[in-house]
Amino acid sequence: MKALFIALICLISLPTPAQNKAIGSKEKLVFTASYKMSGLMTDLAQVTMETSQVKTASSTLLRLKCKARTFKKWDSYFKINDLYESYVSPKTLRPYLHNREINEGNYYKFMQYKYDYKAKVIQSLQRKRGRDGSYYDVRNRLNFGSSTIDLVSTIYKIRNLDIKKAAIGSSDSFSVIFDNQKSTVRVTLLAKETIKTKIGTKACYKLAISLNNSDILKGSNDNLIWLTADENKIPVYAKFKVAIGSGELKIESASGLKN
Amino acid sequence: MRLVLIILALLAALAGVALSILPFGSLALIPIILAFVLGLIAFQISKKAEQPTGLIKLIFLVTIVALGLTIYRTIFDENEVAVDTEAIQKDEDRIEDAKKELEDINIDE
Repeated sequence: MKALFIALICLISLPTPAQNKAIGSKEKLVFTASYKMSGLMTDLAQVTMETSQVKTASSTLLRLKCKARTFKKWDSYFKINDLYESYVSPKTLRPYLHNREINEGNYYKFMQYKYDYKAKVIQSLQRKRGRDGSYYDVRNRLNFGSSTIDLVSTIYKIRNLDIKKAAIGSSDSFSVIFDNQKSTVRVTLLAKETIKTKIGTKACYKLAISLNNSDILKGSNDNLIWLTADENKIPVYAKFKVAIGSGELKIESASGLKN
Repeated sequence: MRLVLIILALLAALAGVALSILPFGSLALIPIILAFVLGLIAFQISKKAEQPTGLIKLIFLVTIVALGLTIYRTIFDENEVAVDTEAIQKDEDRIEDAKKELEDINIDE
């Protein structure tokens, strides 16, 4: 019975390739993030996803950098300048270091995860700004196992899934660390759709993303992402719903693609 | 009824001006259209009752200014991000810090 269950899970799971076939080392994707206000979408910020090579003393890594920055017209009212980055193996996309820096008005937060695969721990560093303007650090050792990775690495891992072999309805789960908490992100292939974008009309995989197995199978898919149905699988459109409202992410440009 | 409509139209027109000054884009059109419709009804009622229409005309003027500003901003305001030289420098520093953190790692392929 147990063997049958495992076989069934394998059959309905999205195939995960071990090697990176989708992410290049000079890729740059630019998006416009919009937020729904009184039923109308208002452009708020620019989101960029960039990759580059970083050479250390012993190895060459791939830097995955995601940045969110409010448009100039909003800067006088509120400013968002957030950075999420991961240093991963260029071949397997396995992360070794993750930094997250949040700069939103007076709010500042820095999180760092350093992966120690031998000891199967993640060394976490949290830096916050106190009321007096001074910074303080909180360090932790998290025993989450070697399969738990950060959000940025997860996004790129999803892009590296072998979706063309997957059947509609198949899904995969990722163990994700965020704010020192472990969560499960579930990705489900809903359909194959053709959509119009700024970079042309694209055949896409429509994926539903849910956190900790929320309502995905009941038809209330609130967080959706469209990845191009080619070897690059770049995200071209995303719809998201958070506690404080909903919004969307539209691609503006894409350059330096691997394939 | 007439006075209520005038007050509501005035409030909507002022909200329209505020939203057209702020970078809310087409969101400002909601109070602008509301102010225009309410002002129009109030104008018709005032004309029938032979009451003064000066304030309603002022509401129309404010609405037109807000509409002009909204259209101008929709056409000419571009989605640009400010060039932040400090952030560029910080980014370079961040890479150097990461290199130090990653000095001792061994990539298992």
